[in-house]
Amino acid sequence: MLDENELWVLSFYRTSEISGALFFGNLAKSMKPGSIQRDMTKHFSDEAMHAWHWSSCIEKLGAQALKLTEAYQDQYVAAAGMPVNLMEVLAITQVFEKRVINQYARHSRIPGILQEVKETLATIMADESWHIEWVQAALKEMEKEYGADLIVQTLKRFRQADEEVYQKTIKEHEARVLHLTDRYRAGGKK
Amino acid sequence: MIDTTVLRENIASFLRQPVAKITDERLLSDLVTQSFMLVEMIIELQEELGIRLVQEDLKDVRTVGDLVRVIERRSAK
Repeated sequence: MLDENELWVLSFYRTSEISGALFFGNLAKSMKPGSIQRDMTKHFSDEAMHAWHWSSCIEKLGAQALKLTEAYQDQYVAAAGMPVNLMEVLAITQVFEKRVINQYARHSRIPGILQEVKETLATIMADESWHIEWVQAALKEMEKEYGADLIVQTLKRFRQADEEVYQKTIKEHEARVLHLTDRYRAGGKK
Repeated sequence: MIDTTVLRENIASFLRQPVAKITDERLLSDLVTQSFMLVEMIIELQEELGIRLVQEDLKDVRTVGDLVRVIERRSAK
């Protein structure tokens, strides 16, 4: 069974997946047909599925997802400035996807993790690897238009912002994260 | 050169607002409530008009008029 903190963390993942799906969905609609639009379409469909996986996982564990207003990526713009072109959107996506996969991997390594949560994380992580791959390939392709140096600088700027956002998020929700670790260590009895 | 009337219509259409409300003085932060919605609009306008904006272009953009001028300048290059 899920306790309040676990439910919040899984609901937070779910909200971030929904936000990602909506953002890429809207963006794909406004883009010209081509390989980036094609892959972005699969990307937003994956993110929507991930939200579904989290909803299902939470329900299997006897709860209902919480309606949260803020997603992780909402804080990026404040920290790094708004991405102003497609290259910057893909750069921020690359940084974000790496953060997601690292966070999910860390979560799945917590001793005593609930089986349903572990399985959901594994399912989602398989897709996230492809997200990193297609975005990397698209950014490589964009070197002709934007220049390799500018892309490297942009990735660096967003990585710094991501680190700032991650530390802030961890600090804000430290109690929940620590509780989660402690609970799993205690075999879900806390 | 781009037609600024069409540009304002595009902005109005994206924001689902009457074009009469998209005046030069309007703050973008009043029209766009979520930061990622502004990103979507900026990208959509670039795709539509075939231009590329960079950070420097949008550094001091606060109002609809600022945005229209920046896009006009970029499309003239």
